[in-house]
Amino acid sequence: MVEAVPMVVPEWATKEPCLMGIDEAGRGPVLGPMVYGCMYCAHSYNNTLATLKFADSKTLKEEQREELFESLKVNNSIGWEVDVICPKDLSAKMLKKSKVNLNEISHNSAMGLVRKVLDMGVLLEEVYIDTVGDPEKYRVKLSEKFPGIKFVVAKKADSLYPVVSGASIVAKVTRDRALRNWVFDETALNMHMKTGSGYPGDPDTKQWLEDHKHPVFGFPTLVRFSWGTCTPFFKDAVEVTWESDDIDEDATNNGSAKRQVKLSSLGFTGFKRKTEEIESSGKGRCKFFQARKLELVKKLE
Amino acid sequence: MEQATPPAPAAGATATVDLSPVAVDLVGAHLLPCGIRQNGAAPVSDYFKPRSTGLEVEGVKVEEAFFRGRKLQGATLAFPDGYRGYVLEKKSGGNDTHNSDGEVSNFVSRAEFQNITYWNHDTTPSAEDSLPRCFHWLTVANAMHKPVTVEDLANMSAMQNQDS
Repeated sequence: MVEAVPMVVPEWATKEPCLMGIDEAGRGPVLGPMVYGCMYCAHSYNNTLATLKFADSKTLKEEQREELFESLKVNNSIGWEVDVICPKDLSAKMLKKSKVNLNEISHNSAMGLVRKVLDMGVLLEEVYIDTVGDPEKYRVKLSEKFPGIKFVVAKKADSLYPVVSGASIVAKVTRDRALRNWVFDETALNMHMKTGSGYPGDPDTKQWLEDHKHPVFGFPTLVRFSWGTCTPFFKDAVEVTWESDDIDEDATNNGSAKRQVKLSSLGFTGFKRKTEEIESSGKGRCKFFQARKLELVKKLE
Repeated sequence: MEQATPPAPAAGATATVDLSPVAVDLVGAHLLPCGIRQNGAAPVSDYFKPRSTGLEVEGVKVEEAFFRGRKLQGATLAFPDGYRGYVLEKKSGGNDTHNSDGEVSNFVSRAEFQNITYWNHDTTPSAEDSLPRCFHWLTVANAMHKPVTVEDLANMSAMQNQDS
């Protein structure tokens, strides 16, 4: 996880009870980072905040969001933070041997922001947050983790609470900028950033995926490999088999286990593999060789 | 891993390996924790970008890289003196020789390397991994196969005389 430049905590935030909004940007797209943003202010400032046109941030144009972000950055009555989760961290977590699903990643990011703001010394009293998964379960989880704080978990919280709208602007602008300034890890030729929205229905996104697929490596690390959107682009790709895909995934006891099984059975994230077929095992030899997986090659071919 | 010796198609051999061609020096090779069902070249350096993590476990410098969305952690091991790694290609057709086992495969070296980076999926590399432990075999094999010299014999009988 990449963190933004740490901000100095404003003095009012350590003296007056505060409320904070948390929202996310880029949870659904097949590419780019997922960003969690938070914005906080003193309770006494909340009414003024409502007049700042943060509401309905999703309906704003990009330039308007940029403008609002710049204005809240220089507003001394507002504090904010972001957590940028790179696509390769998203893919890696979701494709780990013990898989972490997107809801859990989202919850952890939001909780990380609360922890960070608390550690800075902000007097957090109330936190408003857009729900991920079941609102009540999420509220209980948050309340157990941070017993001193009142959590309000709601669907479409960003259009209900100005402080969440503000957080949504922080998150969205940060994600847009991250994509605009994206520097590829890869040094392959002819890569471009006409990615479209990152949703499978977007022709630009489809074209981008088509332009950047590679039979061996898959995609650049801008792409979230664990997304179902990738699957059709791998019909002709080189088969890659992982030991971790041998593990019975039905044993996973979280809600998205089914989805992950589906992804792997679609053939991209994993193929059932016969380990011995491709890896030496030292089977049948003395322990010294078995422990080192050293097999005696009787016939080189 | 093969010791750098000239090819010697001995009796009972099922393969000959020709290491004489001037091979491409890859310096290092990667051993990935997955099967990749392709036999051929790939633009590894364009897509596979190992990075140092700054982490060191039991004197092993841990590296990090991503492949097909998975996070890999790896360590680079240099081969001991006298050993080298080779990428071999099977020579097709023509001058295959035969023995009692049937067909003999002939290989020719296409590239060589002096170190190998092995990668684990999700687990930090350690001295307990099977690849670094494979190097133990080289020591054992040397001890077992080293010819006994006149001096060795003299020392042994000297020791025996001491004991009695």
